[in-house]
Amino acid sequence: MSATGGKEEGKRRCPLLLRPASRTLNTSVSHGGPRGAHQRSRQTTSVLGCHSRRSFSLGGSKVLEKNVVQTPRQAVQVFDEENNDVTPQPLYQADPGAVQPMLFVDEISVGSASDQPTATGSFTLPFSRYQSLRSVFGSSRISSQSTTESVDDEDMFSKRDIPLSFPDVKVKKDTEKEQVTEDMLKDITEVFISETDTFSLLDMPSSFVSVDADEAEATIARNHQYEEVCRNRVSRDKTVERSVQTLTGTTKNKHVQSNGLMVVDADVCMSTATNVTICDMCEPLSDAEQEETAGICNPVKTDHAEGVTYSSRGADRSVSVGSTATTVSASGSLKEVDVKALNAEMEWELIMLSETFQLYLQTVERSILQNSFHPQLAAYRQLPVLGDPESPVKNEIVEQRTGDTDGGPSLQCLWVFSCELSRGRSVSCMTWNRKNPDLLAVGHGEFNSGNQKPGLVSCWSIKNLKWPEHIVHCDSAVTTLDFSANSPSQLAVGTHDGSITIHNVHSQDNRSHGVSSRDSPNRHLGPVWQLRWTQQEVSSTGEEKVEALLSVGADGRISKWFSFKDGLDCIDLMKLRRIQNTETKAGGKRTEMMAESVLTALTPGLCFDFHPTDSSIYLTGTWEGLIHQCSCSNSEQFLETYRKHFCPVNCVAWSPFNPDVFLSCSSDWTIQLWKQHHLKPVLGFISAQKAVYDIKWSPKWPTVFGAVNGGQLEIWDLSSSILDPVIVQPAAPGVRMTSLLFSSQADCVVVGDSDGHVTVYQLKNLNVGEQSQVDVLEDLICSAASR
Amino acid sequence: MTEFSLLSPIQGQKGVQGIIVANSEGIPIKSTLDNSSTVQYAGLIHQLVMKARSTIRDIDPQNDLTFMRVRSKKNEIMIAPDKDFFLIVIQNPSD
Repeated sequence: MSATGGKEEGKRRCPLLLRPASRTLNTSVSHGGPRGAHQRSRQTTSVLGCHSRRSFSLGGSKVLEKNVVQTPRQAVQVFDEENNDVTPQPLYQADPGAVQPMLFVDEISVGSASDQPTATGSFTLPFSRYQSLRSVFGSSRISSQSTTESVDDEDMFSKRDIPLSFPDVKVKKDTEKEQVTEDMLKDITEVFISETDTFSLLDMPSSFVSVDADEAEATIARNHQYEEVCRNRVSRDKTVERSVQTLTGTTKNKHVQSNGLMVVDADVCMSTATNVTICDMCEPLSDAEQEETAGICNPVKTDHAEGVTYSSRGADRSVSVGSTATTVSASGSLKEVDVKALNAEMEWELIMLSETFQLYLQTVERSILQNSFHPQLAAYRQLPVLGDPESPVKNEIVEQRTGDTDGGPSLQCLWVFSCELSRGRSVSCMTWNRKNPDLLAVGHGEFNSGNQKPGLVSCWSIKNLKWPEHIVHCDSAVTTLDFSANSPSQLAVGTHDGSITIHNVHSQDNRSHGVSSRDSPNRHLGPVWQLRWTQQEVSSTGEEKVEALLSVGADGRISKWFSFKDGLDCIDLMKLRRIQNTETKAGGKRTEMMAESVLTALTPGLCFDFHPTDSSIYLTGTWEGLIHQCSCSNSEQFLETYRKHFCPVNCVAWSPFNPDVFLSCSSDWTIQLWKQHHLKPVLGFISAQKAVYDIKWSPKWPTVFGAVNGGQLEIWDLSSSILDPVIVQPAAPGVRMTSLLFSSQADCVVVGDSDGHVTVYQLKNLNVGEQSQVDVLEDLICSAASR
Repeated sequence: MTEFSLLSPIQGQKGVQGIIVANSEGIPIKSTLDNSSTVQYAGLIHQLVMKARSTIRDIDPQNDLTFMRVRSKKNEIMIAPDKDFFLIVIQNPSD
C-alpha cells in the first residue's frame, strides 16, 4: 500500500524504529506539527473493523465525524537509529475551543504491499479553510491486501483517525472523563458503526480419511453410528396433525351503480393515418411515390412485420394493421404513417387476391342489381311487388301495373341482356341450362354475310343482368348451343366452320378450349346447324341414361359424337340423301323411292328434334323443305317424310303435351302443324310475309306457341284464334329478331335479335281457356283433319 | 388487377353511393367515400357485424354470418363479412 503525497513519513518509517505502544494499534502518521509541549496523543477511535480481505475505500467522501474516543490511546514515539526522537510533531495546532469535526479524505490505496502489514496514508487537509475547526488528520487505511485471508493480525483493524492532540480537550484514554462542554453538546455527533471481525466460537473442521488408511474402518463405523443416532433421535418437532375447516361465508350480492363510461372514439388518432391510405387510393399512385414510401419504409418494414406477427389480437391473421395502429398513433411521425399506409397496402393486396373477396364482390353486385331491378325480377319470379309506402315513385309503378291487367294479351319488356361484348353481334341461338334454369347461354354469330367473324358465347344469369357470367370466344360464328343434362356445366357449341366444342362453363379462363372436333377426320364439312344432347335409352347397367351428343350439319349428316383421344369423333346416324322426284302418285306412301342417280347428294339438314317420349325417333328438317322422321337404329332409311314446305325448314318442334303433334316453320313464310304419320299438315299458319326463323312451343300451355320472323315476334294461341297470332310484338327498327325461347319458370319469352340484345318479355293476360288444353288441341286437330 | 377494375363493376351500378373495404378490426382499407364518412361507417358497421355474428353463433354455434343487408328509408347497406375483412356497399336503389 502506498501512501499518498506527503506520506513519505510512512516510507521513511521503515528504517525507523517504531515502538508502538500497543500492537493493536497502528500508528497513523501525522505530519509534524508544531513542536511544543503538545503531547501528541493519538487517539484511536472506534476501530474500523474493516475486513482484512478486501475493503473498499470510500472514495472522495468527506465524512464529518466526531472524534469519539473510546479506546485507550497510546503514545507512539518514533526513534531512529540514533535514538533520536524523531517523532513527528503535528503540524497544525487547531484552535482548542472550536468544534472539531473530523474530516478525512480517503485516499486510494493502490496496489498491495505484501510485506508491509500496515500501510497508512495520511493526508493533509487544507486547514486554512477550517481555521476554526480542529481538524483531524484522518487516514483511513484500507488494507488492500487482496491476498489471502491469512492476514496478520495487525491487519485486522484498519486505522481510524487519530486526531491530533488538542490541548484543551485532552482526549485521553479515559473517555468517560471527557468534559462535555456546552459547545460540544451542540455538535452533531456522528457515530460510525463498523463491522467487527468474525468470532468463531466453535470450529470443528472435518477431517478426511482416506479409504485405504488404517483408521478407515473405524471411521466408517463411527459414521454409521452417528447416522443411526441421528435417525433414532427423537425429533424435536412436536407436530400434531390436525384438520381445520375454513368456513366460507355466505355471499352477499350488492348492486353498485356507477356513471356511464365516457367512450371516446379513437378515430381521431386513426384519421391521420387513414388520410394517407385514402389519398393513396383516390389519387393514382405514381411510381415515384411508391418508391419513396417503399424506400422509407423498407428498414422499418421488417420490424413491423415482426411486430405484426407477434401481435395477437385474438384473430388468426398474419397481418394486423390495428395493432400497429395503436403503436403508431402515439407518435405522429410521417415515417410511421407511411408504414401504416404500406401495411394497409399489403393488406389490400392480400384481400384483393383472395377468393372470398371475389365471391363477395360478386354477391354484392348481384344484390345491388337485384335492388335496381327489383320490380322486373319480381315479375319474372312471379312474386308480387309490395309497394313501398315511403317512396312515392314506387307507387306509380304499382298503379301502372294494375292498369295493365285490364288490357288484352300483351308483352311487357322486363329487361334486356346486353353488354359491350355482345353488342352488334347477332344472336344466332339460345338455350337454357338444364339444371339451373336461371342460366341462359346465348350464341352470337353472323353467318349470313361472307366474312367469317369470330363468334361469342355468353352465359347470362338472371341474377346479374348487366354482365354475363361466363364468356367464351370462338373462332368462328356460333350456330348452335346445347347444355348437357348429365353434366350441367358442359356446353356444346357448334360453329360455322363445322367444329363442335364442348366447353365447361365453370372454368374461369375465357380462352380455354374445350374438347373439340376440329381435328377429327369426320367432322362436319359445313356449318353445324343444330346440336342436341339426348339421353339415349338405358345402358347395360340399367341405371343411368347414357347421353350422347348429336348434330346435324350442312353436309347432310347426322352424327353422334363421343370423346376420342383428345377430341371428338363421330359415327354417322343418318345421311340425308337428296330425294328427287318428290311427287308421288298415290298419297300416303310410307317409304320413299330413293333417287336413282349415281351420285347421291346430301342435302343440308337444318334442324332436328327428338320425340319427347321416345328418344330414338327424331325429326329433321332439310334444305329442300322436307321433314324426315328417322330412327336412331335405322341409318339407311327414313321412316316418314313430310312434304309441304318448299323452302328450307328452319325449325321443327314436337309438342311437349301432345306426342303426336309437331310444328315446323320455314322460310316460305309458313308455319305448319303436323300430326304424326299424317303426311299432310293439319294446320298451316301464315301471318307475315317473312321467313320464320324460329318456333317454339310454350312449356305451360299446350295451345300456345311462339314464332319469330324477321320483323316481329308472334305469340299464337290456338284456342283463341288459328288465323292470327294473339300477340304481335314488332321488333325494334333496323333489328331482326332471330331466335326465341320460352322460359320454363315464368311466363316469359326470351328473344334474341341481330343487334346482340336478348330481350326478356313477360306474357301478360294471355287468357288461355279453362278447359284442358290438350283436349282443345285434339279437338282442333280432329276437326281440321276431317276437313 | 388494380382495385379500380375490381370495384368498378359495382361502382358503376345504378344508385351505388359508396364502397368500403375494412379489415377485421374495423379500420377502413379502401373506400370510395370521403374520409369522415368512411371512418364512421367502418366503425359503426364493424360493431353491428360483431353483434350480428355473435347473435347467430349464440343461437347455433356451428352457424356463421355470411351476408347482411340493412334496408333503411333512404338507402340499403350491404355487408359481406369475412374473417379477414368486410365489404360494405351503400346503395340507393331509387336513384
